[in-house]
Amino acid sequence: MIVLNDRIIPWQPTVIAGPKQAILVTPETATMMIKKARRPLMVVGPLAKRQPVLEHVVKIIRHFDLPVVTTADTYRALSEAGIESEPRGIVEITNLLKDPSWEGVRGEGQHDLVIFIGCIYYIASQGLSTLKHFAPHIKTLTICRTFHSNADASFPNMDDDEWFRYLEKMYAE
Amino acid sequence: MIDVAPESKKAKNLKGDFWDAKNIQISIGEIITEEKPQEEEVKGPKPRPHVTDLRSWDMKLLERYEPFYAPFCDMCCLCTYGKCELLGKKGACGIDAATQQARTVLLACLIGTAAHAGHARHLVEHLIERLGEDYKIDLGSNVDIEAPITRTVMGKRPSKLGDLREVLDYAEEQMSHLLSACHTGQEGDSKDFESKAFHAGLMDDLTREVADLAQIVALDLPKGDEDAPLVELGFGTIDTEKPVVLCIGHNVLPGADIVDYLDEQGMEDEVEVCGICCAAIDVTRYSEAAKVVGPLSKQLRFIRSGVADVIVVDEQCVRTDVLEEALKNRSAVIATTDKMCLGLPDLTGEDPDKIVNDLINGNIEGALILDPEKVGEVAVKTAMKLAPIRKSLKKLPDLDEIIRLASECTDCGWCQRVCPNSLPVMDAVKKAAEGDLSKLEEMAIEELCYTCGRCEQECERNIPIVSMVTKAGERRVKDEKYKIRAGRGPAQDVEIRRVGAPIVLGDIPGVVAFVGCSNYPEGGKDVALMAKEFLERNYIVVTTGCGAMSIGEYRDEDGQTLYEKYGGQFDARGLVNMGSCVSNAHVSGAAIKIANIFAQKPLEGNFEEIADYILNRVGACGVAWGAYSQKAAAIATGVNRWGIPVVLGPHGSKYRRLFLGRPDDEEKWKLNDLRTGEVIDGEPAPEHLLYAAENREEATVKIAKLCIRPTDTPKGRQMKLSNYIDLHRKYFGTIPDDIDRFIRTEKDIPIVYKRDVMKILEEKNWKPRKLPKEPSLLER
Repeated sequence: MIVLNDRIIPWQPTVIAGPKQAILVTPETATMMIKKARRPLMVVGPLAKRQPVLEHVVKIIRHFDLPVVTTADTYRALSEAGIESEPRGIVEITNLLKDPSWEGVRGEGQHDLVIFIGCIYYIASQGLSTLKHFAPHIKTLTICRTFHSNADASFPNMDDDEWFRYLEKMYAE
Repeated sequence: MIDVAPESKKAKNLKGDFWDAKNIQISIGEIITEEKPQEEEVKGPKPRPHVTDLRSWDMKLLERYEPFYAPFCDMCCLCTYGKCELLGKKGACGIDAATQQARTVLLACLIGTAAHAGHARHLVEHLIERLGEDYKIDLGSNVDIEAPITRTVMGKRPSKLGDLREVLDYAEEQMSHLLSACHTGQEGDSKDFESKAFHAGLMDDLTREVADLAQIVALDLPKGDEDAPLVELGFGTIDTEKPVVLCIGHNVLPGADIVDYLDEQGMEDEVEVCGICCAAIDVTRYSEAAKVVGPLSKQLRFIRSGVADVIVVDEQCVRTDVLEEALKNRSAVIATTDKMCLGLPDLTGEDPDKIVNDLINGNIEGALILDPEKVGEVAVKTAMKLAPIRKSLKKLPDLDEIIRLASECTDCGWCQRVCPNSLPVMDAVKKAAEGDLSKLEEMAIEELCYTCGRCEQECERNIPIVSMVTKAGERRVKDEKYKIRAGRGPAQDVEIRRVGAPIVLGDIPGVVAFVGCSNYPEGGKDVALMAKEFLERNYIVVTTGCGAMSIGEYRDEDGQTLYEKYGGQFDARGLVNMGSCVSNAHVSGAAIKIANIFAQKPLEGNFEEIADYILNRVGACGVAWGAYSQKAAAIATGVNRWGIPVVLGPHGSKYRRLFLGRPDDEEKWKLNDLRTGEVIDGEPAPEHLLYAAENREEATVKIAKLCIRPTDTPKGRQMKLSNYIDLHRKYFGTIPDDIDRFIRTEKDIPIVYKRDVMKILEEKNWKPRKLPKEPSLLER
């Protein structure tokens, strides 16, 4: 059971890195961030391979026409769901994102917003820390069911049912 | 009649003055008039390199594989100027976040190096005290290059135990300089910190080689024996009816003396000697009768089971609450080194029988005994006396008790939030409260839980979750009987001669080394499955330490462990257990020997040329899937400096630093062809130097890719690419999108995939390019 205060401390509480923590966002705010971004990118990790998460992810990608990077072996699951993506390790895509001169997934220039979902919590947290420190040109948003303090913006900790409602709201309009 | 000399009853004295007077010596097959000069040692360009002597090589590596930093923390907390926040700011001393990360990595590497160096110093001094400093270093007729790392770094070969002191003196001196650079207000550049971390890693390599060399020759451990015996592994192999002595840690000496004491007393069959972590591996190298309980991850589970009557701890990777946990079951604890005294009284000078009595009567909680021989006697005597008293304590709480404890759960869920792998701990406990222990059992038998005990620390009702997991898994404990090949030590020179060309030319697709700790994301089975995958594909699979044990804890579809199925030869489809963590030195050692034996590269003082050779031509890849410790950080960094890439598990990202290549930047992959003097286009081979993969599937594909090298012949490249494509198709469903980067000419294309690959090449407007004859990062 996740009580109110527990929603806004990191899911693994020891990953607190310093004074700056992510802002808590609702699905509406997350949607607004994506709409405002000029070159957003979706990064989908292996925890999003299972249903119904995968279905929500596919709908979000289609709704916003997002370019996608899949980490670990997620490429196959997304490909079978009809989504083309670029497979890269989470540390590889993070490394590319921190380089302002990288041309981005669609070759249109470095991304300005990266949305993460489904990466293993602790490695995602480390990657977000990299971007927090060394990629000031990028905003990071996590839409997992866990609060990521190293992101710029994150969903809170919540249970699966609430999370699915959050995800649904992102493509409902 | 033929006159013959009368038959002598006395052997001719060849040591008399006569020979000296003539100033001649006898040798087989020739008479020489003066002492034959020893083979002259070639002094290469940089013997005994100081901190900055190999900096130019490091910068070449760092130019191609730039450090990737993932700070754990946004702060620096080292001095009283701070705490300083480094997020977009500099600290009060002027340090920035990248440099601070690099400094932390150097510190971690130095801690790891110091652990191995301290261990090596302890071993060497002790063995010299026992055997004398002139005790010969002899690995038998099959291993001429007994110390490839020492020869390359020091510029000379060690021939006796006393020579190892000089190596340690040098390493300790370098470590002192390196550590001083971590002080506030010294080094201020992240890449220079990384160069120093490489140097620390090299010192780690050196001291590991010293430690294993000393114990191999002095304790007569297997000397590169591919047929080293299969020894017993697993909880179920321990006969709990006998007194049990458990050794935990990384120092073989106390364990060896326990075995010796039992032998001397004729009690070999009366006491079970077993071990956890590297001490286990090394004791089984010393005696086939000893047993391996398992890797580091078994520690708390086994202590909680109460099976061990006496727990002997030495150093490194031992739980620091071992005494507190042992006392719960009245197991006796004996600490044996200066590294870990546990607050116990120093009884090194005390009468052994008095120590035994004090331990039995509970007059003392445990004993610190710094003399391994005395440890042997006290451990055995204590176990013999304590076992009958402790009989009732060798049991965990019963099943009803578990159900009652589980029913106390308040559903707070913090057990799974603090679990390093976010295992569904609370769900398992809730199920247990309903009488269903299957989820707890799964955590135990699938090795998902490595018993760190964080869940218990967090539980608001003090539910002993680790004990419950242990109990739930107990039903299957009797089945935990496996085999592991005892650590064989180095690859033989003859094996290197045999595989040198196939490895360099690519006919053997690679050497994959599974090493390190058990901080696995999904249990130890992952390591075994990866090892199996590469064995079946004709790779040489090398292993050490906890990784070696995890591989042994898996049975394939035929019910065999991989050690039973595959031989221990350093050759294609060989599963080579080299030994404990210090034996990792033989992994780099094998690569170095390929450069020397196969390519005739001189070793002495010639680090850069050897490392350049390995980077560009030896298709080796290290895998530390569960790396957790500072020692693992030092080992990986040392291996990296030799030009061998390493893949870590996802927890490896918490080392804060990786070395990642940029395949999209073609300038980074240019090579000097030393044969022609030309600068030519290269390829991302190896693509990264230190990489953290998110799961086993990703790691498997990456390992295959990281074995590609510029010197592969077209046939060899075809083989490597076949494996890379096969694995990519297996786990990703497609031919990899970057395949064009690794096709130099059409001859490189695997025949099976020719049509599909050609299509990709056409889409990418691929053009053939030159094969380098002698690829190098060095100038001609």
